[in-house]
Amino acid sequence: MDEFQTGSETAFVVEDVSRIVKESVEGVIGGSAYQHSRVSQWTSSVVEQSLSQLSKLGKPFKYIVTCIIMQKNGAGLQTASSCFWDNSTDGSCTVRWENNSMYCIVSVFGLAI
Amino acid sequence: MEEFHPGDEVSFNPDEASNSVKECIESIIGGEDYSQNKVNQWTANIVEHSLTQLVKQGKPYKYMVNCAVMQKSGAGLHTANSCYWDTATDGSCTVRWENRTMYCVVSVFAVAIAL
Repeated sequence: MDEFQTGSETAFVVEDVSRIVKESVEGVIGGSAYQHSRVSQWTSSVVEQSLSQLSKLGKPFKYIVTCIIMQKNGAGLQTASSCFWDNSTDGSCTVRWENNSMYCIVSVFGLAI
Repeated sequence: MEEFHPGDEVSFNPDEASNSVKECIESIIGGEDYSQNKVNQWTANIVEHSLTQLVKQGKPYKYMVNCAVMQKSGAGLHTANSCYWDTATDGSCTVRWENRTMYCVVSVFAVAIAL
């Protein structure tokens, strides 16, 4: 079994990931109101931009980014996730964002290669 | 730690995962109406049971199971996911389920472990 160095360069850093995701969300839907016709391109843009910024970090990780956008209409929404991985190297972070008309929830899972 | 057997096929079978997730959802919220009190234990149970079934397959994979349950009240909901991985060995599947009062969307992501 190879020895890998688990310094800060090969760890999942929640603050960096969270910052990248917040910037992506703000950039894509920052000033917008919920629009049914545009929401599918918003979710795609949020995940693609987040993923490209994450891969630029250059860490030996595989990433999975999911994004949920929900109109504010009084409905209840509950999400949960469960992961079977290596606790010492892998991690996740979830960013919740909202404005007057919608909620946006982005989850990033990072798995060490 | 479970034993992995080199020589077994290292591939993710989305149909099999999809079927086992559908059974988990049915067994947990099959006949229920949306209830704010119960929804957090439903989502937790769905992800745990689905994960247990997947791990029982004994394949050399890490798994992530994500579940969203939403009340039917006319609101729009859109989800997307994007993955940076090895397309030859890794995979995902998404199961959408609904009844009269709620929607349930479960996504499974499987990432191969390099042995």
